[in-house]
Amino acid sequence: MSTSRSVEVGDELAPVTAESNLVASVLYAGASGDMNPLHYDPSFAENVSPTGGIIAHGMYSMGLASRMLTAFAGGPEQVLEVDVRFTRPWPLGTSSTFTGTVTAIEDGVATVSLVGTNESGDRILRGTGRVRL
Amino acid sequence: MALQRDKVGTTYPPYTYEVSREKIREYATALGETDPRYFSDGDDCVAPPTFAACFTVTKGGAAPFADPELGTHPAVVHGSQRYTFAERALRPGDVLTCTPRIADISARGANEYLVIEVNCEDADGHHVVTSQATIVLLGSAPATATDTPTAPGQEVAS
Repeated sequence: MSTSRSVEVGDELAPVTAESNLVASVLYAGASGDMNPLHYDPSFAENVSPTGGIIAHGMYSMGLASRMLTAFAGGPEQVLEVDVRFTRPWPLGTSSTFTGTVTAIEDGVATVSLVGTNESGDRILRGTGRVRL
Repeated sequence: MALQRDKVGTTYPPYTYEVSREKIREYATALGETDPRYFSDGDDCVAPPTFAACFTVTKGGAAPFADPELGTHPAVVHGSQRYTFAERALRPGDVLTCTPRIADISARGANEYLVIEVNCEDADGHHVVTSQATIVLLGSAPATATDTPTAPGQEVAS
C-alpha cells in the first residue's frame, strides 16, 4: 500500500469468520500436507484430542488470522511477521471469528494484535502481526 | 523418554521445496482466500504468507522426529508458530532450501516444548522466510525437570 494511507493506533481490521467442518479440515490437511488424523478421524481423536473429539489444525486458525492481516496490509509482500499461540482447541462443527487491532506504528510498520474467538467464547488463538504500511 | 537437551542447536540436513502455482491455489482455496493474485495464471501470482506451512510444519519436523537421539514421541500438539518474512511474497517457481534446527527444549508441568526453527532461502541464497514452531510433547516431561511454573492462559491446543 502507499505510504499516504492513513492508519492509526486503535484501528480495527475487518474481521474474518469461518466454520471448521470435516470438509474444511480435510481440505486444509491436503493443502498443507499436515495429515495428523486428529483433524479428521473421530476414533483417533477420541483417544488423543484434548477435547475428546476432532479439532481444527492450529495452522488453519493461523491461516485465517493471517488472511485478515494480509487483506489489511494490502498483500502478502507487506507482511513482515505473523506470530501466534494456539491457546485453546477449535472443535469441529463450530465457527470462530478473527479480529485484529493496530497497537503501534513505527517507521512505517504497523503492529497488530490478533485474536481468534470460538463461538463458545473460548479464545483459540492470540498473537501479533507486523506489516509494512 | 524425555527430550535430550544437549540436542539444542542441532542443525539437520537441508531439504528443498519448489513453490507451484497449483499448490498455491489449493492452499488459498482451503483458507477461503479471494485475492485474485493467488489464483492468477500470470506473473503476478503470489502465495499467502502462511503458505509457508506447506514446507515448514510437517516437513520441517520430519528430521527431528526421525532422530532417535532426540527422544520425541507421537503425542504432540502445535503450541505456537511464528513466520518472519523477507519483504517479498512466495511465488511459483521459487526453489527454497530449508534448514531445520532445534532452537530450544524446555518443560512446563507434564509437557515438553520443542522449538523447531526452519530457515528458508531462495536459489540466490537470499532469506525468504523463517519458521519457528513450538511443538508440545504431551506428558513426557521428567518429574524433576519442570523449569517454569504453569502460567495462566498457557493452555495448549492444536
